[in-house]
Amino acid sequence: MPVPENHEFFIDPGRCIGCQACVHACSECDTHRGHSMIHLDFVDRALTTQTVPVICMHCDSPTCAEVCPADAIKRSEDGVVQTARKPRCIACNNCVLACPFGVPKMKADFELMMKCDMCYDRTSVGKKPMCATVCPSGALYFGTRDQIESLRRAATPINQFRFGEQLIHTKVHMMVPKSRGREIVDVAAALFEAPVGQDMSLNILQ
Amino acid sequence: MHERVRATIWGAGMTALLGVLIVLGSRRLDHFDAALVGYTFATLFATFGIVYRYSMWLQRPPTRRYWVRGWQLFLNPRYLGNNLLQFLRRVGVMFALNAFIWRRGTMRGAAHWCLMWGCVIAAAITFPLVFGWVHFETVEGDLQSYRAYVFGFPTLAFPIHSWIAFAVFHGLVWASILVIIGVMLAMKRRMTDHGAAAVQQFAEDYLPLIALFAISATGLMLTASYTWMRGYAYDFLAILHAITVILTLLWLPFGKFFHIFQRPAQLGVSFYKDIGARLEQANCRRCGEPFASRMHVEDLIDVERELGYRYELEDREVQHYQWICPRCRRLLLSIAQANEWAGVRGGGPLLSDLPNAGISSSDRHQ
Amino acid sequence: MATLPVSRLETIQRFGPHLSYPAGMRLDTAEDPDKVVKTHCCFCGQQCGIQLKVKDNVVIGFEPWEEFPFNQGMLCPKGVRRYLQGAHPDRLTTAYRRDANAAGGFSPMPYDAAVRRVAEEIDRIQSTHGADAFAVLSGASLTTEKTYLMGKFARMCLRTANIDYNGRLCMVSAGAANKKAFGIDRSANPWSDIPKAEVVLIAGSNVAECSPITTNYVWQARENGAKVIVVDPRITPIARTCDLFLPVKPGRDVALFNGILHLMIENGWIDQRFIEQFAVGFDAVAEHVRQWTPRQTAEVTGITESAIRQAAEWWGQAKSSFLMHARGIEHHSHGVYNVLSTINIVLASGRIGREGCGYATITGQANGQGGREHGQKCDQLPGLRDIENPEHRAYIAKIWGISPDDLPGKGVDAYEIFRKIDRGEIRGLLSICFNPKVSLPDNNFIGRMLDKLDFYVAIDFFLSESAHQADIVLPGSLQEEDEGVVTSAEGRVIKINKCVDPPGEAQQDWRIIQDIAAGLGRSRGFTFNEPREIFDELRRASAGGIADYAGITYEKVERQLGVFWPCPMDDHPGTPRLFEHGSWNPVALGRGPFYFPDGKARFNVATYTPPAEDVDADYPLMLTTGRVVSHFLSGAQTRRIGPLVDQYPEPRLELHPQLAEQLSIRDGDWATVESRRGSCTLRAQVVRTIRPDTVFVPYHWAGAKSINQVTIAAQDPISKIPEYKVCAVRVRREASPPAYAQQLEPQQ
Repeated sequence: MPVPENHEFFIDPGRCIGCQACVHACSECDTHRGHSMIHLDFVDRALTTQTVPVICMHCDSPTCAEVCPADAIKRSEDGVVQTARKPRCIACNNCVLACPFGVPKMKADFELMMKCDMCYDRTSVGKKPMCATVCPSGALYFGTRDQIESLRRAATPINQFRFGEQLIHTKVHMMVPKSRGREIVDVAAALFEAPVGQDMSLNILQ
Repeated sequence: MHERVRATIWGAGMTALLGVLIVLGSRRLDHFDAALVGYTFATLFATFGIVYRYSMWLQRPPTRRYWVRGWQLFLNPRYLGNNLLQFLRRVGVMFALNAFIWRRGTMRGAAHWCLMWGCVIAAAITFPLVFGWVHFETVEGDLQSYRAYVFGFPTLAFPIHSWIAFAVFHGLVWASILVIIGVMLAMKRRMTDHGAAAVQQFAEDYLPLIALFAISATGLMLTASYTWMRGYAYDFLAILHAITVILTLLWLPFGKFFHIFQRPAQLGVSFYKDIGARLEQANCRRCGEPFASRMHVEDLIDVERELGYRYELEDREVQHYQWICPRCRRLLLSIAQANEWAGVRGGGPLLSDLPNAGISSSDRHQ
Repeated sequence: MATLPVSRLETIQRFGPHLSYPAGMRLDTAEDPDKVVKTHCCFCGQQCGIQLKVKDNVVIGFEPWEEFPFNQGMLCPKGVRRYLQGAHPDRLTTAYRRDANAAGGFSPMPYDAAVRRVAEEIDRIQSTHGADAFAVLSGASLTTEKTYLMGKFARMCLRTANIDYNGRLCMVSAGAANKKAFGIDRSANPWSDIPKAEVVLIAGSNVAECSPITTNYVWQARENGAKVIVVDPRITPIARTCDLFLPVKPGRDVALFNGILHLMIENGWIDQRFIEQFAVGFDAVAEHVRQWTPRQTAEVTGITESAIRQAAEWWGQAKSSFLMHARGIEHHSHGVYNVLSTINIVLASGRIGREGCGYATITGQANGQGGREHGQKCDQLPGLRDIENPEHRAYIAKIWGISPDDLPGKGVDAYEIFRKIDRGEIRGLLSICFNPKVSLPDNNFIGRMLDKLDFYVAIDFFLSESAHQADIVLPGSLQEEDEGVVTSAEGRVIKINKCVDPPGEAQQDWRIIQDIAAGLGRSRGFTFNEPREIFDELRRASAGGIADYAGITYEKVERQLGVFWPCPMDDHPGTPRLFEHGSWNPVALGRGPFYFPDGKARFNVATYTPPAEDVDADYPLMLTTGRVVSHFLSGAQTRRIGPLVDQYPEPRLELHPQLAEQLSIRDGDWATVESRRGSCTLRAQVVRTIRPDTVFVPYHWAGAKSINQVTIAAQDPISKIPEYKVCAVRVRREASPPAYAQQLEPQQ
């Protein structure tokens, strides 16, 4: 059974407060207790409190699946890139290294790659993914296009990401400001950009 | 098209080779039981299918890369000694014990271990018997003893009423019991596990269990029939058993059972990783931290190119997105998004200490 | 650095904190629960709705509760992992008595014998030294029924004036200021007003870590076009992308808000009509803030003039707004003035009591709001009544069936109780839901005082660090083992539902209190059979008071998913937003929106005074303390939950790289922070998100890791809240790790 009809995943890392509720909730999930599939990293704690939660973006043509020598990663008809098939995965790490978003996790103990599968066990019975349900900042949101448009009027969801010459389309959308009129986010360009945030020195009286 | 031709040739070749071995091993079919011809042809078909699929699989760029590189590294004289030791250890831990599956879950481990060993024992007994590679004869002058012949050559002899004989002649019974226990455990898990419930498919996940159960159950019925029921319905059961086995053999190359042949690649991968860890590491071209072996990254870049991906970057120092570690890739997603929002949400660019990030290095880019 | 005494190590080894983790951390599926109970999280004042899964009398997991309107399924890490506190190896399932010869320093004893011993000791102390020589310390994470019973128990059964509670460390500055300005102590608005505001001003609240669900409300306001202004000495996650960040020097909030009011008046950004019609005292305040020119404000607060002007302009010109604050401005020796100065800019703007125009304090403790309404505070009786008001005394005495003359008078605050122990005036103590050894400032003093007591009985579900020093420990109940109501930060009364029975000899807390009353031979008034009966009496006791619960029933709470008090009658729907035209107000009776006889709000002159202990040459830095997202209060619960400890295992000393360079401290080095009272050696975390003249340490840890060894016991003269948020310290690098690093696990 597919993800509830019309429901899509929208991420807005800029809203993230780094609380890790998503990480904890993910590891309480039924199919992988004790193992979170979500990454939550500080961008540079010495500099800023900025954090980034990363779930699988569910690419239309997933690099992870194509570089898999064991053909262990499948994309469902509704576009969910599933976690590695247990009988097949040979724990080679290709997917971990190839994913442009840095999503798959290698579980060395299990000789198995595991990744976010949009809570297939929950969405298949009409529930929302665990992380998007608990996220207190709305950085992870699961709902209809109408809902997101009425809630986030200044933002527009986009699902095309550029990495050098490569353009990747994803099932998951990221929120960017409407005013920019952007259709593509150039992720690799951020290699040469600084994190953004309030600067302590700015408003301190010297 | 080229790949299919090659796969067909490999499939046909290996099937022919098996045919020749059957003729040779059974001493020109002297020891071949004509009643088992159905099994033999099913096996030959399965052989063609498996080799064909395996060959197609090996020709995929990532698999080919691993296959070639795996053997190169394994056979490299510098590592060979250690590799052989590791090979023995891993065959024990990974294959014989299924340690990694037990770690995933006790029920999972128990189910797989029983299924696997049941099938291994059964295959080790039945294929040589069917092909006529092994047969038993009474020892001349000693009617109380049997001698086993392998490829027509005499080997061990043992008394008919010994425990060895009992164990050997009931080998399939033990195998069936293991398989049935495994099937029951696996079925129970599939029926109660919420995760399994979400992704499992009948053909992919239940059918193999049903097939194994059918083979084992009909096989046990045969034993029961000739042991306790004076051969009641024996012919019918034999045909039923043959049908279950033959259908399973024919299906072998297509479904879940193909993992039996694919799975040993895990061993090759472990050598690739072992040796890679001792070679030069790839340092992330953003944060400077090592994140994989350089060999692995370079191999992947090649594979991605073959597959048509273009993660090349204009920047002459970074060159390819593959040289950025997975953690930095995650951070970049948020930095990219934050920059889209700059001027809309509060805050401005912050100077960073990272070698390749921050204001200072953006000059270099321009 | 001295090593730990063996006895303390043994106690820790035996009673924890040890860590609990989810069972079967493999790929196996979870068990199906027997039932799923809709209830609320036990941590923090937001009281998120959550469903707990129960199997075989054990809470085995959770499921989000998306229908509950406040959090709509959202949870923070504490909520997600809260279920791991049940079925914990450290759980007390029997009574204990202190026994130097026993393993861990305590030996188990039968519950009945322990209760008898407690009653005997209370009786002995009170008959020798007088009723007030026995004190009670209660907590604001108990259900409202229990807090009501604690107040009644102290006054009616023990007849002691000396009962106070740990809301003293939390809510009292806001409470006192709210009563002074509005005549009522409750958040003026439900959170649903936040997204409707044009400007959201957050003062001294690390929203993202201390009240994470509020984040979504703030971000929603921003999505709707609001400007977000944050006042904090640290760039917390909510401040990172705010529109205006005001990096205030700790302890200078009054100056900032007076300065903002100065600019509002100067530019005519005030609501003259509202001020005249609905408030009194504006002229005195206007006169007072005249001295707070932008330059003067900038100099005192350490914030640039332009930033202050920007804040005044946005706040002054907004059509709608929401101001919220928390402990950051309240934990001060002038916490009440800090709060009053924020209320002044709210009143001057006229933006209160309307949709999208709000003001709130963000309650910290699980029942921080309900826990301060019904009489466990030293100066209060149920219904937010005043213990010194004869009418109020008479009303409650009638409900309890006693003479008003038998009702003790006003007691002393929680910290003063320890000073009274020092002076020998208090000889015995009963504590529940309070861990003063960790949570009170200058806590080495607190430790000495607990030892000095003739008799100390602690009611607890884990052996908290304070209970380490108890003579008798009675095994109490976890939140999920009892039912009752609590009141959330919004003023919403909600229902905690029972999931499991207390294990072993552990008892629901209210039963323990009643058993002690029976042991003393004073059972009258303490014969309730279930929380509902206590609640029914509480409703009657609160009727006619300001915090009026008379119209609230368990059924109504469940039907409406919470009822906002005041709710005086059965057919009254409750009052989500205060100060609206025509809303229930038993004091003003229609004369105006505020809870004074004339219906008008009060402007209060907020005079600036520096912190009680300012920096000097010996102690040149300011220390401020606070929470981290994965821990709660003294950590008695969260330091026992493995995944929460893994997220933030040990306290770290946050300091700015400029300061770190001066002190030759690198990230990860050991460093000692030291005040005139004590010192604490921790790992340094060098970050550019804190003022260079300030260091920060979170307060959830005990013993050598407790930053409250260093903090100052200075208190606000009105609210008696301690000054956790600023004291003078010095910091030095340590070449070697402290002794505890080898002896203790991170959470211990």
